[in-house]
This record gives sequence, C-alpha cells and structure tokens, in this order.
Amino acid sequence: MLRPERMRRLLIAAPKSEIDTIIRELYRHNVYHIEDFVPESTSGDGLSIGHPLSGASDAASALIKIRAIENACGIDPENVEVRTRLPASKVRAMIRTDLPSIVEEVEGLVASRSRLETRQKEHEQRAKEFEPFAAAPLDLELYRGYTRFTVFTGHIAHDVTIDVPHEKYFSDRVDGNMIVAVVPNEHREQVERMLLDAGFQAIPVPEETGAPADRLKAHNDEIQKINGELATINGKIASICARHTDFLVACDELLTADVERAEAPLRFATTEETFITEGWVPGDRADRIQEALKRATNDRIYIEELEVDDDTSVPVEYQNPSFATPSQLLMDLYGRPRYSELDPTLLLAIVFPIFFGMILGDVGYGAVLLALSLGLRKVLKSEGGRALLKVLSISSISSIIFGVLYSEAFGFALPWEPLFFSRHLNIGGAATGHGPQVVELMIIAIWIGILHITLGRLIGTRNARSLYHGKHATKAMISNLGWLGFMWGLLLLIWAFFPIPMMPDLTGLPVVAMGFNLAAVTGVVLLVAGIIGIAQENPLEVVELPTIISHVLSYARLTAVGLSSVAIAMVVNYISIGMMIEPQLEAITPVGVILIIVGILVFLLGHVLNTALGLLGGGLHSIRLHYVEFFTKFYKGGGKKYNPFGMKLKFTEE
Amino acid sequence: MVDVGTTLEMVQASQAGMSAVGAGLAVGLTGVGTGLAEMGIGAAAVGATAENRDMFGLALLFTVIPETIVIFGLVVALLLLF
Repeated sequence: MLRPERMRRLLIAAPKSEIDTIIRELYRHNVYHIEDFVPESTSGDGLSIGHPLSGASDAASALIKIRAIENACGIDPENVEVRTRLPASKVRAMIRTDLPSIVEEVEGLVASRSRLETRQKEHEQRAKEFEPFAAAPLDLELYRGYTRFTVFTGHIAHDVTIDVPHEKYFSDRVDGNMIVAVVPNEHREQVERMLLDAGFQAIPVPEETGAPADRLKAHNDEIQKINGELATINGKIASICARHTDFLVACDELLTADVERAEAPLRFATTEETFITEGWVPGDRADRIQEALKRATNDRIYIEELEVDDDTSVPVEYQNPSFATPSQLLMDLYGRPRYSELDPTLLLAIVFPIFFGMILGDVGYGAVLLALSLGLRKVLKSEGGRALLKVLSISSISSIIFGVLYSEAFGFALPWEPLFFSRHLNIGGAATGHGPQVVELMIIAIWIGILHITLGRLIGTRNARSLYHGKHATKAMISNLGWLGFMWGLLLLIWAFFPIPMMPDLTGLPVVAMGFNLAAVTGVVLLVAGIIGIAQENPLEVVELPTIISHVLSYARLTAVGLSSVAIAMVVNYISIGMMIEPQLEAITPVGVILIIVGILVFLLGHVLNTALGLLGGGLHSIRLHYVEFFTKFYKGGGKKYNPFGMKLKFTEE
Repeated sequence: MVDVGTTLEMVQASQAGMSAVGAGLAVGLTGVGTGLAEMGIGAAAVGATAENRDMFGLALLFTVIPETIVIFGLVVALLLLF
C-alpha cells in the first residue's frame, strides 16, 4: 500500500545443460522479470547472447499460421470467454493431428474468398463502365469500325446543338449526362471544340458486343452470384471458427509460451559452457523460486542476490488493496511510479470518485451510468476495459450518493431539501427556493484544493528524501516546504484582511505593526521564507509562484462544471416539459399530441447528451485535477513495468 | 443615459442585465482564449501520442493547462451572477 512491491535482484548462473530445466521452471513460476543482457563490445569478458532453444522456429511458424486463422475469423484471445481449459498434452497432440487440416481448410477458403472478391471488383468496374452507355439505344458494335466517321462518347455538362451533319443521342438520366455524337471526319475538329466548350469528358467504349443494357445486367447478375458465393464461404469460415475457437486460442496460448521459452536465451549472457541471467523477483517470492530452481537442477545452479543500487532499473509492480486496483489503469496512463517513490494509486482510487460525484451529483445520471458500466461488462472483456468499467461503477455510485445529498435526479429536485449545499438553479417558470449556493460550493471546492495541494506537497517532501541523495534531497525537501509556506502565508495574508465565509476570519486579531495584524505578519514571514525556500533549490522556480493561485482556483471546476451540467438538465426539463408537454396536457388536440411526442424526444435526447457530457466532464476534470494539480507537486513517474517471464494460463492447463 | 422617466427599478434591472452580459463575456471570451491556446498544444499532443503511447499522460497534461483560463472566466461569471 502506497509503495510499489519490494523487489529482489537475483543473478542466476548454471551450466548450459540445465538451461532448458531452468527456463521451464522460471516460466512456470511466472515471477522472474528478466533483465535483458546487453553485450558490451569493448569488454573482453567472453560473454555473448545465447542462441534460441531448438524448436523455436517450428513453434514460431505454427504460431503465425494460428494467428492468421484467428485474424481471418476475427478472434481476439483477449476477448474470448474461457469455457473449458484443455490439457496441454491434448493440445499438443491436436496440433500434430488436427491443425494441418484446419489450416488447409481455412487457407483454401480465404484464398477462394479473395479470388471471388477480385472477380467481384472486376465486374463492378465493368458495370460502372457500361452504365452511361446503357442510356443510349445503341448496340456496342455500332460505336466502332467507321473509316469516314468519328464517334464521340462521353459526359457533358449540358446538351448542345451541332450545326454540321451528324447523328446524336443525349441523356440526362445518368450521372454527369451522356452524349453520343457521330460526325463525318472532316467536321471532327470543329465538333470536338464545340463539345469541349460544353465541358465534354470522353469515355472509352467498352470492348464488348451487344446491347449495353444487357451487358450491364449480365455484370450485375454476376455480382449478385458472387455475393451469394461469398456469403456461403464466409458462413463456412464462421462455422469453422465457431467450432474451433477453443482449440485455436488454446494453441495460440501454448505456442506463444513455447516461443517465449525457446527465445529466452536471447536475453541471457552465455559463455562456452554456462549461462548467466539477472532479473527481479518480488521480495516475498524470491526464496520460493530459489528453492524450486535448486531442486529442479539438483543444485547444479548458482544463485546470488545482488544489491539494488539504481532505482530506475527496478521493475515496478503495484501493491494495492483490491478496490484500488482498477485505478492502476489511470496511473499507468500517466506513468507508472518509480520504485522508490510513493505510489498514489490508493489516494487516486479514493479521491477520484469523490470528485466525480461532486461534479455529477445526480441520482438519475448516476443510476444510468451504473447500469451502463454493468451492462458493458458483457461487451468489454479486455483487462483495461474491465478496469475502466470498475472505476466507472465506483464513480457512478459516488455520483448517486452526492445526488442524494444535493437532492437531484435528472435535474429535478427530489422530495427532500438538499442535505449538502443546494445546486438548484432558478430555471423555468416554476422556479422556487433560494437558488444555488454557488459561493458556498465554490469555497468548499477551494478548500478541497488547498487541502489536496497541501497533501501533494507533503508527499513531495517525503518523496524528495527517497528520490534524491545527500544535499540535493535536503534542498528538494526545503523547496517543497517553501511552496507550502508560500501558499499558507498567502492564505493567512488574505484572511487577515478579508473576511470570507466558511474560512477563518482573522481580521479581528491584534495589530502588531504598520496596520498588519498578527495573522498578516505571520503570513508575510511564511511567504518570504517560502520564496527563499523555493529559490535555494532553483531560483528559476520563483517564476512559477503564480501557479499556486491558478492551481487552487482550478479546483473551482468541481463546482463550476457540475453547475453547468445541472443547468443543461434543468433547461432540457423546462423546454420539454414546461414548454411543450404540460401546456398541451391541459387540452389535448391532435397537434398537441405531436408536440407532446416531440417534447418526449427532446427530453430523452437532451438527457442522453447531458449524460455523455457529464461522463466526459466528470471523468476528465477529476482526472485532470489529479494529473495537473496534484501529481505535479510530488510525482515523478516513469517506472519500468514489472513483466514477469511466464504466462497466466487461461485456456490450457499443464 | 438616464432619462427623466427612468425609475429606480429600471436602473436596477439594467444593472442586473449588464452583469449578465458581463458574465457571458467572461465565459465566452475566456473560452475562445482557451480554445486558441489548446489548438496548437492539442495538435502537437496528438502527434506525440501517436508516435509514442506512453506520452499520453504528459500530452493530456499539456493540453489541459490553458483550461485554467476558462475556469477563471467561469468563476468570475458565477460570482457576477450569484
């Protein structure tokens, strides 16, 4: 909690004869994060990158075939539901016996599908060429084979009159119009110029015979026929896929594991007879894997625990209570924590839903989003999607709770007075009450900002100690405290002169000097000390001082964005119910019924839109307050992801 | 400006109207400012994210920095109205 999992660094050396056993054992435990070996060209220590185990290329080529089939079928192993787990030995046997025939069948079908698609394209192309000619009542032979005449065929902007002896057909029934003109050769240039002036675009006569309309129909019939064949083939492919999905994903998993295992030596350092690998193991599991390795190799292995010196090279694995794990997704989006810094996932997991609820505090919208997040679980099966939906359900529950406090549901008031502060705007004719308590809500938001930022700076002070060493650590700590001093000094100064509701009123304190009272003097002292504290680390940071004000005020969005969402909801209600439905209900007329239906549509559409806006606003602004205002105070990020060598078997079992 | 026929109520009403106009201007103009500022940042941020997925957090952070301007506008508007 609040810290990434502790890691231990292991160095494993063993004779090459044991490499297979060791890789197998490491893979099975799925805890060892391999540190890739990078050979140094200058050092003459005789270490080089290892060679893949035998069978690597076979497994890889089989895997490519499987992936190709999965691709053709549109199977994504991430999204496949686990129905049965096939034993690995059975899958291996089936790879030898069944797989070749499946591959052959699917490849054949895919090949004939692409052949058909090519033919279909050709026919479509031809049909398109015939379309304009179908508008003229001429057989295709009649366009060709003249020695004394020239035939013009093409699109034209408008009909033209040709003042030389000619024969002409014009049709405006096709796109871009169609003109066919036959003129004696001696008038060719004259007619061509005339046609070009009217925007003539020549199109070639297709190399076929017969009536164009018949040819067009023939091509279209052919397209229809091919469509039918394509549907049959697609159906066949789909049925093969449906039949073999379980087997295919099991193969994929098994072969992926084979390939990963076979290629592991590429990440090891080897000598003539031995190999060496370095890696990371979570602290509590290090002993177990050491013992397992020793047992598997009959002690023909050397394991040494190395010291952790550089915190950037340590892979980072979260260690959070289960309700906070979905929020890790939001952390990864920003950057995984460094190994030695504090992991704020837990804080994010608690504060994010509260912010979301404060912004979108509405029982109705909260319930809709909760239903949405539960419903989408059937569709989104990937790990990230699941995590996002969990965050959304927690946030929408918080939204419902705040909705009860604010007494709001779809912009309507619930039958009780707001338990918290009111956000009911005076919109519409029936508006009553004292209106929204904007100032109070705003000050609450500012208070949250002050406390959140103070917390951030305090964590920053603590992080400075573990991220930096020696003098730099002290300087960074003092700088963080300086920021705190500046902020609270400024606050004291403001409170000493201006009474603000819901904030301490320090205007009445005894005056010490120059009209400054006790609070003001303390404020000035803190302020100056703060600036000195910031400047001693880096004088340039003093330029950043105004961000204190903008960051604290930025929390006002908790109120502002929420109020805008309430306003939209109330306006939608007023337009649809107050202006359209209610007046018509008094005396129902046929026009009134239509108006009522339109009113209901406006109501639904408006609230769908506002739900989407609320989701976006509530989510983005809450996460932004964390990323921009909170994390910038203490968070470095950029830790390496802990990626253990191994796989969690989903579809197969040993 | 003040005619002979202007009553106190009318003055108050026009003052309320002016403050509403001011609130509208505050939100609208700051919104335009934020939009202008985010235009360039957003384009660059999308480009950077397309190059490297890991940039997303930082890119989002950069993109939303100018949002503070419109929040200030909104704060001013709300204070004017209530």
